[in-house]
Amino acid sequence: MTALLLDAVRHAFGGRPALTGLSLHVDPGEVVALVGLNGAGKTTALRVLTGRLRPASGTARVLGRDPGALDAVTARRFGHVVGTPLVSPDLTVTENVRVAALLHGLPARRVGAASAAVVDALDLGPWTGARARTLSLGNAQRLGIACAVLHRPAALVLDEPTSALDPRGVVLVRGLVRSLADDGAAVLVSSHHLDEVARVADRVVVVHAGRVVGELEPGGTDLERRFFGMVLDADTADAAGTAA
Amino acid sequence: MSGTLGTALRVEVLAWRRSTVRRVATPLLVGLVPLASVGMTALARAGAVAGPGAAKLADYAVGPLAGTHLAVCGQVLSVALLVGAGFALAAAFGQPLADGRAGALFGLATPRGTLALARCVVVLGWAAACAAAAVGLTVGLSAAATAAAGEAFGPDAWAAAGRALVAGLLAAGLAVPFAAVATVTRSPLATVGALIGTVALTQLVVVVGAGAWFPYAVPSLWTGTGGPDAAAAVSPAALWLTAAVAPVATAAVVQQWRRLTDV
Repeated sequence: MTALLLDAVRHAFGGRPALTGLSLHVDPGEVVALVGLNGAGKTTALRVLTGRLRPASGTARVLGRDPGALDAVTARRFGHVVGTPLVSPDLTVTENVRVAALLHGLPARRVGAASAAVVDALDLGPWTGARARTLSLGNAQRLGIACAVLHRPAALVLDEPTSALDPRGVVLVRGLVRSLADDGAAVLVSSHHLDEVARVADRVVVVHAGRVVGELEPGGTDLERRFFGMVLDADTADAAGTAA
Repeated sequence: MSGTLGTALRVEVLAWRRSTVRRVATPLLVGLVPLASVGMTALARAGAVAGPGAAKLADYAVGPLAGTHLAVCGQVLSVALLVGAGFALAAAFGQPLADGRAGALFGLATPRGTLALARCVVVLGWAAACAAAAVGLTVGLSAAATAAAGEAFGPDAWAAAGRALVAGLLAAGLAVPFAAVATVTRSPLATVGALIGTVALTQLVVVVGAGAWFPYAVPSLWTGTGGPDAAAAVSPAALWLTAAVAPVATAAVVQQWRRLTDV
């Protein structure tokens, strides 16, 4: 069964189209990267997929369920960071992780072990007693990811998860994403960093003008050229369609 | 529901314990209200205030000392708890929507509506504890002051203490609609603006004589802000109507957070 699904999703903000029939799917054990220019519709698509935005039309599914009305059993198997993460600036790193564990439905007896494991996995140990508001941007981003994955979700959505990370943090997050997928999780990651997605993704999906315009093979050295070629082809086809 | 509500309460209690609004508001409510109650009564009886202020304090210059302390306490709490709990709810509900944190509350095993309910309960519980502490401290200060003055802390003072506590609880409950305002506006500042506007509107409603049935005026009038006649005009039905605001508003806020979108 497809774990994450968007099918013919359309949405507009004040008459400005944001999604124009976007469809994609992520299967269990697969890392799919969503790439596109600014304003292409990536974040809007992820907001629909996480239930934060009801689309004008189309279908969104997380583990077979409507993300806007996830039942508790399904929600326990879902994680996401889209924009601001599940982190309170007033709480310490440890408190934030434990709160996230509780909100994700982990039983109280497992909260301590799960929290310790994710703090270790993302190398947040030196900052466990620090308030989240005092963390650097990169550490705050790692904390946000920790709060989204500590329950080992079966479906995971991450928006620009490495945008503020140093090279070591990028490697940590990449390893974490890969290990979740190897355990059978479906992971959808949006990114601007083509080199980075090439290293972690099984498939690279190109979004442009609110829809998927094609897929790129992650391997090879000319990913950037192929990406721009695909975007240009989409624009050319749109212009031709408008002229006709 | 009970399991997730327990989780939500645990999370919201921790969040509220760590919040800056709580750290600032608690000492103001618990400390300033008793000091204002005893201090304003002392100023009125000493004749230390001249001009328009003296007229405002004239009612505090007469009558049993302890009863006056507790009546003033009720009057101050009627406004202070509304404003304090209103600011708290504006921050607790408006800030996560303004800074985007509310988006992270989607797709959780603990539903958003349950978290909203827990947040209302925690802030109201905190406000009730502040009201009880403020009244308790006022009773203590008043007992010391009446003993020093050679007066008795009689049944009328205890009755006034009970009325002050109830007025404080009613005022805190009247703040819950501002959680709904914060959810609609997605702005703590706009919510505080609505709160200040409501306080101003209440003054107008009282001036035109409709305060006895206006929930936002009821606690204040009932504790004697408008004089004994205005207090007597507040009926039990009006008190129940005022008390009903909190549960109705809480239900509305829970529904708002269940149906939240475009976050």
